[in-house]
Amino acid sequence: MLDRLLSRRLLFLSGKGGVGKSVVGAALALCAQRRGRRTCLVEIEAPLPAARLLGGQPGSSPIEPFEVRPGLFTINLEPTAVMEEYVRRTLHVELFVRKILQSPIYQRFYAAAPGLPELMLLGKIMDLTTERHAFDLVIVDAPSTGHGLSFLKVPAAASTAIPIGPVGNAARRIVAQLQDAARTGLAVVAIPEEMAVVEGLEFLEQARDEVGISAEAVILNQCHEPVFDTREEAQVLDLLAAERGGRLARGVTLRGALVAARRQMRRRKLTRFYETRLRKATSLPLVRLPRLFVEQFGEAELRRLAQRLEAA
Amino acid sequence: MSPRREPAAALLEALRERKVLVVGGAGGVGKTTTAAALALQSALLGRRALVCTIDPSRRLATSLGLTRLSDRPRALDLKKVAPDAAGEMWAMTLDTKTTFDALVVRYAKDAEARERIFANRFYQGFSAALYGSHEYLATEKLLELTQDERFDLVILDTPPTRHALDFLDAPDRLIRFLDSSTLRFFLRPYFAAGRITVRIATRTGALAMKLVDSMLGMQFLQDLSEFFLALESMYDGFRDRAAKVQAMLKEPSSGFVLVTGPARATLDEARFFHDRLAEKQMPFVALIVNRLHPDPAHEPDPGGPLPRLDEELAAKLAAVHRDMQTLARAEAKGLVRLEVDTGQPPLLVPELEQDIHDLRGLREAGELILGARTLPRRRLRRTAGARA
Repeated sequence: MLDRLLSRRLLFLSGKGGVGKSVVGAALALCAQRRGRRTCLVEIEAPLPAARLLGGQPGSSPIEPFEVRPGLFTINLEPTAVMEEYVRRTLHVELFVRKILQSPIYQRFYAAAPGLPELMLLGKIMDLTTERHAFDLVIVDAPSTGHGLSFLKVPAAASTAIPIGPVGNAARRIVAQLQDAARTGLAVVAIPEEMAVVEGLEFLEQARDEVGISAEAVILNQCHEPVFDTREEAQVLDLLAAERGGRLARGVTLRGALVAARRQMRRRKLTRFYETRLRKATSLPLVRLPRLFVEQFGEAELRRLAQRLEAA
Repeated sequence: MSPRREPAAALLEALRERKVLVVGGAGGVGKTTTAAALALQSALLGRRALVCTIDPSRRLATSLGLTRLSDRPRALDLKKVAPDAAGEMWAMTLDTKTTFDALVVRYAKDAEARERIFANRFYQGFSAALYGSHEYLATEKLLELTQDERFDLVILDTPPTRHALDFLDAPDRLIRFLDSSTLRFFLRPYFAAGRITVRIATRTGALAMKLVDSMLGMQFLQDLSEFFLALESMYDGFRDRAAKVQAMLKEPSSGFVLVTGPARATLDEARFFHDRLAEKQMPFVALIVNRLHPDPAHEPDPGGPLPRLDEELAAKLAAVHRDMQTLARAEAKGLVRLEVDTGQPPLLVPELEQDIHDLRGLREAGELILGARTLPRRRLRRTAGARA
């Protein structure tokens, strides 16, 4: 499964906010790097960039990939900086560039043209997949704006709205690349909760019907793993009903442990329920990642998730 | 009632008396569910409450146990879940494109202007992406709904933007844009004849124009300019209503409910949002933290001797206790910081053991919110002291 997912040149990750997309992206990037693929993990205006999880200092440039460990790069794109880079590359002469970026006409235009930042970002992402950067794989943690896959829909809208000119042409090239299944793929991240699953399935539908990008996998994050077997589950419920007390260990009451166990069991049941629902709704490969109980998510946890991806 | 119950009491009072509640927060924190649960509680209090979500996906419908909702308010059947409800609960979801179309139909000066807007390529492709139109249209709709006689209370679930503040800024931004030279620039028929007819005074200006032209082509610029021209007759209406919404949101009959999850990133966002509300002098009602993991050590021990347990089961029990406690303690630390920084005692709502997808679940969730506890004072004083 992982081979297939990482064999593309460009992989988008999408999912409802709060499902842990950026962590999944970092874990996938780690897997790719271990397979010797020169990888770039792209984030967009991430408040807590994934580079820190990969054990490196995040690069300070909003437009240049930064090598956080050998063969693994990260970049946290800023739309305004990407736009400015475009102007720079179009004009060449630095003196003009600065003047233009400050000119009211440019500023007004930039403020009024909707979709332009998204288009520029996607253009930049496509550029990262070219030979010039020599990345084998570019993983994009697509922004979850709550407006579905709107980010990936912009190029199609732009190619209709801008019939001629280099930006219109660029939009059409981006649409073609997004639809090139040999090159580009999408993985949807969800967690075992109603809204995240419903939205995840909607993303798959939109990917197919509106963007034309090839969906490759569903990653179900924060799954509760089986802990108790059926007999133990019954015992836990009996002990709860009988209101049994006492101490299991220092600072651990039986009652507290039983209540925690019941919560775990119910959440585990929900995990199984949503997993089944996803499997029924889509034939795509489904990968489960465990819910980790730690005070702060760090590099060690990331490695654990990467191992689980490897095993899938 | 101890003073620590105040936040829940304030929320209850708002459900009883206010006319508008805006529910804000980051995505994925249970905002939509919270908004719907509050509407149901308000109906139980005898009011006619409408919950409105601006969401192209079927989220609200899902949590109400419905397959779909439209942009027409629909009354829900509360008989089964709340036969005691003296009020009514309504729900609707806002579709941006339909709302924008309806605005054009209503405010365009004549049929020709209307057709010109609809036919504009730019409008077709981009109206949904127009300067935060989701957020703006939400405020526009809010104004309309608050004037609707059928409802005593309108609860608005704001769009899950990355920067949750976009919603608040939308009316301001629109007014600024409408008054700006940007718009006037596009309103002058520079592009009318398919070429730049204006004489741009400076060389830089000419160069910038050439750049924009070479990037996007004249056709696009024409469409854009035509689009703004076609909308021109609607601008006064836009400006007028945007200002009204701004004023309405500041009234004491309105209020903001902030929803967050216990994760660090969402707490940061909530703090930021709270500060902005204070800065803009918006009436604040409550801060709700959803999906908390209760600390198992807080379960009262019924006492008695420990029953004989299988060794393996005992080990597993100890392990789940430890896992849950690790999460609970990490979350509690973040919450103490949140309260110390904002001065608002958050309502602590534990993670539900079941998912909510019907009115029954919503009722329970609402009761849980209104009965939620706050942080123990002892702990806060210690932290506040340590910080000072």
